[in-house]
Formats: sequence, structure tokens, C-alpha cells
Amino acid sequence: MSYASGWGMVGTVRDVGTSRWSIEQVESVAPSAAAITAAQPLASPTRWTGLGANDAALWGSCQGSGAEPYDTMVDHQHVGFTCTCASRKTPCKHALALLLLWARDQVVDTLPPAHVSNWIDRRSAKRTASSRSADAGSPAASEAAGSEPAASESVAPETVDAGDVIGESEPVPPMPQPDRNTARNDRVERMHAGLTELDRWLDDRIRTGLADPSLARYATWDDLAARLVDAHAGSLANRIRRLAGLVGASPGWHDDVLAELGLLHLLSQAGRHLGSLPGPLADAVATSVGWQVKQADVLCGVPDTDHWVVAGRSDVREDRIEVRRHWLRGTSSGKWALCLSFAAYQQSLDTSLRVGTSLHADLHRYPGPALRSLVGARHALPVDPVAPPSQTIAEGCDEVGSMLVVEPWLDRLPVTIRARLARSGEAWALADATGSLPILDARTRKFDAGLAMLLAVSEGRAVDLTVEWTPHGVVPLSIHLPDRTVDIGPRANTSFVSAA
Amino acid sequence: MMSVDEHWQALVTTALLGTDRREPPEAPELIADLVADTARTSPSERMLAQVASTTAVRRAGVVPGPPLDELAMPDDDNRPPCVPAAIDRWHHITASWPVLEDEWTLTLVTAGWRIAPELLPAMLVRHRSDPVRRTRVMVGAGSTGRWLVGHVPDLAARHANATVTPEALAELPELPISPELAQLVDWSGAESGGVLAQSLEDGTLGHSHRAMMINLLARVRADALLDIADILGAVDSMSPGYGLATVLADLATTRNRMLDELST
Repeated sequence: MSYASGWGMVGTVRDVGTSRWSIEQVESVAPSAAAITAAQPLASPTRWTGLGANDAALWGSCQGSGAEPYDTMVDHQHVGFTCTCASRKTPCKHALALLLLWARDQVVDTLPPAHVSNWIDRRSAKRTASSRSADAGSPAASEAAGSEPAASESVAPETVDAGDVIGESEPVPPMPQPDRNTARNDRVERMHAGLTELDRWLDDRIRTGLADPSLARYATWDDLAARLVDAHAGSLANRIRRLAGLVGASPGWHDDVLAELGLLHLLSQAGRHLGSLPGPLADAVATSVGWQVKQADVLCGVPDTDHWVVAGRSDVREDRIEVRRHWLRGTSSGKWALCLSFAAYQQSLDTSLRVGTSLHADLHRYPGPALRSLVGARHALPVDPVAPPSQTIAEGCDEVGSMLVVEPWLDRLPVTIRARLARSGEAWALADATGSLPILDARTRKFDAGLAMLLAVSEGRAVDLTVEWTPHGVVPLSIHLPDRTVDIGPRANTSFVSAA
Repeated sequence: MMSVDEHWQALVTTALLGTDRREPPEAPELIADLVADTARTSPSERMLAQVASTTAVRRAGVVPGPPLDELAMPDDDNRPPCVPAAIDRWHHITASWPVLEDEWTLTLVTAGWRIAPELLPAMLVRHRSDPVRRTRVMVGAGSTGRWLVGHVPDLAARHANATVTPEALAELPELPISPELAQLVDWSGAESGGVLAQSLEDGTLGHSHRAMMINLLARVRADALLDIADILGAVDSMSPGYGLATVLADLATTRNRMLDELST
């Protein structure tokens, strides 16, 4: 995947050339997820001197581990990076940190110093020269004369050597391109080895039993999770860490842990036989195991255009990251989609999707029968109020079951039902004439703001609700009233994220 | 023949002990069909295959629990709930101008509105300790408030036996206002706004007087608010008091709109 096509697609949503980048756009140019992680600690104004930005570039000096600060510059209009650090990665963590600061509005607009202006001028001159030579050398160029350049060309990125010395006038020799197939094969091999190890570990757990005291030690799980991260099976590593939290958490924890071990076995087996699975299922398994798909690749896919009702939202802290889920339902297709956003400490979650509104937009789905999607082009401003169609609890269970048949390892699914609150002993549940669904954790949580809101607004009557199904109960996300939708989903703590 | 749920319980029992100590249970026909083609030889491998299959089957076959009795509903309250604009205003007030909250609640009650249900949890949590404010909220909440507290004990008042006099309930708390500003309380909007704007422009009033000016605007005549907001909004942007004047204009506008939304 080249940056060029990625930016071309992003450009359909926002004009990369003139506006501030989003965090996701910064992440999309990072050479790896680890690079973003490495950049986060540097994305603080206290680490920088001489920070500045204009409509073409960003610049600043970052005090790193060396004696001298690293001078970093980013061309955010035509996408290029330079830094005096020794990293061979492009962009390096300093350039990414600079972009993150800018994306968070922590870089002031000012006049560029001379070396930044020179760098931008040199890049501009190179672009002009290469454009002329391309025009001269291409027979099709004359036929296309006068036509508008393609979107991807207009924002085609140019990268420079990370070790490029500022002020140097000689052209920079191109970086050798890594053998992508070799890298991919290496990655597949490591993932395969990781899955084999996971299955061996699962086998040990089943042999020695769930009463084995070693299960209560976090290291038992964390060591395996770390090895799965090394094997590029990050999603499975997250499942393992979540699973560790289930041990001893409730009287029926053996049930929950055993079910999760079964699903891990299912995924590891499927992941080791990806080649023999049907295409969409193979994609779904690969994603669930942790195979990374670049957002730019997703945005290249065929869009699913519809009037998408933002039916519900939930925020969940997973490890050190706050995850926001927006559940969207297509008005014409009736299909569900999931848009995720992530925030580490003091970062912001996506607030562009408002529950109870309808968005006429392109959604680009991740590979396979995935719910997860990215919002592409928006064709109109959101409209409100709208609600997805509701159904009985029994019909809702059928809908959830149908989705689980396709991907049994999914552990959060949306459904809109018409139900009222009811008591089942000490626990709260949603009920109608066809049955009931327990509400997750309502008995154990100290104060459940969502439940209190549901009680207050419904006053015990049946209302239309979008809920998130989990294997252990449902989480009410929104109440759809005739004139408005009330968002009652769990909300991130504002002491952790900077905007929620 | 065992049902899927019975088979699952047998699997959990075996998993607790481990397959080193107990053989996996015999799978029911449905599950046996799913795992029959495997070449698994060890008990643990057979067990894992059964656990995975049974989990997938149980999840896909999610069914509702038994129907449950309806909750008793709260008694009828004939008062209309406050309008959505008033709900938004309350959120703005509590975030930016808490000095207006007492007046918001008192005006709502005296004008014959009831607190909109979606505000109740937040208001009940916010006023658990202060007996006067708590009582005002409970009066505004009506039967729904009492019903809600009955179901969610975390919303109950901290001091259930505190007594509140009707006078305390009906009066706004006194706010400290310096004598030279206090005289503006009963002036017309043009007069009081003119004095404030002039004093802010020439620096006679500044940030050290901010709290007093906020208290003043929270108590000036309601019919003066619109004029005051207009005059403060027109303060010379080059003057030292421009920033403060803008903030105070927002307070005057907020209070004016609040009273409009809660008027009968």
C-alpha cells in the first residue's frame, strides 16, 4: 500500500493539503503501530523548542537522548519528513510526535525560519522538475493536457531520508524498498508459530484444569499475551489479558473462562488454516487474530453508501486505551456497522457522530463480513431525530444469533428492541412478552448512571432501546423517544480522556 | 440424550479437574457431528474441540430468559416536563453559571413545570447533601423522583431527616454584592448596563470585582437583562474590560433565556 493512494482516499473526507490532520491521519503515515507508541511520549510541548507551523510545514527541535536536539520538519501539504536523528524509519518518531502535537492544536502558526523555507522551496522545485520530466516522457501526457490532476496525484506524498541533513542541497538517494513479500511471509510465519504456541498453552490449561493455582497468577496470562504480541497476534493478546481479569471475578467464572478458552482454540485453529477457509471467513479470522489492515487500504474498498442512523455509543477502557464504539444502522440496507475510535491518556475520542442523528455517508468495511467500518465521504450534514426500527426481545435474540453464526468470537453486538425494565431478584433486566435479557453488571456496579437514566425516562414503560449484547448481559446504549434519542451508553471518564 | 446445556455443565466439571484426571464427557449428537472428523488423539485435544464447538453453538442459539413482571409505575403527575431547551440550559448553567441553578429550579417549580425525567438522575446525584436544594429538586421531580429514588438507593438524600422551612424553600439565597454595585439591582437595564460598561472600559471595575458583578447579574431585575447583555456586548474591544464584559454578557443572556424558557 503506498501512501499516495491512502492520502487520495483520505482526501475525499478532508482536504489534506490545507487543513489540520486528524490523529488517525497521523497514524496512517506511521511505519508501524510501535512508531506511534514511541512518538506519544515526545508529543508534549515541553519536549520541544522552536515549535512552529504554517500552511505548508511544521518544524521544531526535540531534545532526545543525544546531546544535541533533533531538528525535525514535516511538509504536511505534500507529505514529507526530515529529521536529524539517526532513525532509518520514515517518518521517525520525532516527525510523528510533531504531527501529533499539531493535530492536537499545540503548535502555533508562525513564520518559518530560513532553513524551513529553504527546505520547502527545494521540495517544491523538485516537484516541479519531476512533473516536467513526467510530462515530457509520457505519451499520454499530451492527451491529458488541460485535464485536472487525479486526487491522489495532487496530494502525492514525498518522503525524504530520515537522516537528511537540514540545509543540504544535494538530492537524497532513495531508500532501498524492503521486499514486501519477504516481510509478509515472515509475518505470517511468526503468526503461525504464535498460534501453535497458543494452542499448546490452551492444551496445558485443559489438561491441568481450571482449578490449577497458576491461573490466578497474572504472569501466566501476561507472558502468553506478550508472546502473542511478538507473533503479530495483538487481538488475541488483548483477549488473553481480558480473560485474565475473569479469573475469580464472579462465582461462575469457570463457565466464562472455559467458553473463552474454547473461542481462542477456535480462532487459533482457524488462523492456522486460513488458506483453506472461504475468503470472507479467512478475512474475518485474520482480523480477529490481529492481522493489521491499514485504514488507507480499507478506504480504498467499495463504499457502502446509505443513510446511517447513529443508534448507540459506548466507551470502554481496555488496558490503557479508551475505546469508543459507535453503532450505525443503514436505513435502506438494515445492516449494522461499527466505527471505533481510540484515545490514550489525555487524548480525545471521536465526537463527530452524534447518537440519534442520521448521516448520509460512504462507509468502508474492513475485510470479511466485518461490522467494523470507517466513515468515508459524507454527502450531507447529519439529520435528527431518527431511530432504527425496533423489534421484540425474541426477534432481537434471533438477530444476534444470526450475527454470531457468522463470527462466534464476537463479544459485542448491537440490537434495537422495544422493552421495559424489570427485576429478576436483585438483578435488572429488560423484558417484554417474549422474554427477558439480563442487564450487564447492574447488580454489582455501585451506581449505574445509564440504568438510572433508563428508569427515569421510561418510568417503567416499554421504550425503544438500542443495546449492546455481550455474552454476560446487555448494556443499554440509547433510548429512542418519538422526538429525540437519549444517549445513555457508558461514557469515558473525563479525567482520562481530554474530550468525551 | 444430554441437552447442549447439560453437556456444557459436564464440560465445565471436567475442565475444573483437568483431563489429566477426568476423561472428556461423551458429546451429544449435535456436537459429536461437529467434532467427529477431527484426528485428535489426546483427551485434552478432544476436550478443546468440544468446548469450542459447544460455545459456538450456545452463543448462536442465544434465547431470551423467562418473561418478568412489570414494574409498578409512578403516580401520574399532571405538570408538563420542562422543554428540551430548558434541559440544555440546565447543563450549561451547572457547567458555567452555577450561581443561576437555584433560580432555575425555583422558577421551574413556581411556573408549574416538572423536572424532565432525563435530568432527574443528574440532579438527584448533584443535590444529595443540601436539604433545601434537595427538597426543591424532589418537589420539581414529583412522583417520578420518589419512585426513582425507591428503585436506585444511590440517589437517596444523605440526610433523610433534615427539615426545611417553606420560607427557605421559596427564597433565593442572598448573594454578597458590594454596596456600590448593590444599588444597580433595581435600576433599568440601560442604566445599570451603562454604568457597568463604562466602568469596565475605563478600568474602574476589573477582574477583582468579577464575583461581585456575577452576583449582581444573578439578581438584577429580569426585564433589565436583555439591555445589559446588549450594552456589555458592545464594550470597546480595545478596552481592558472587554474580555470580562463578554463573559458577563453571556451570563445576562443565559439568565434571560433561562427565565424565558421557564415562563408559563
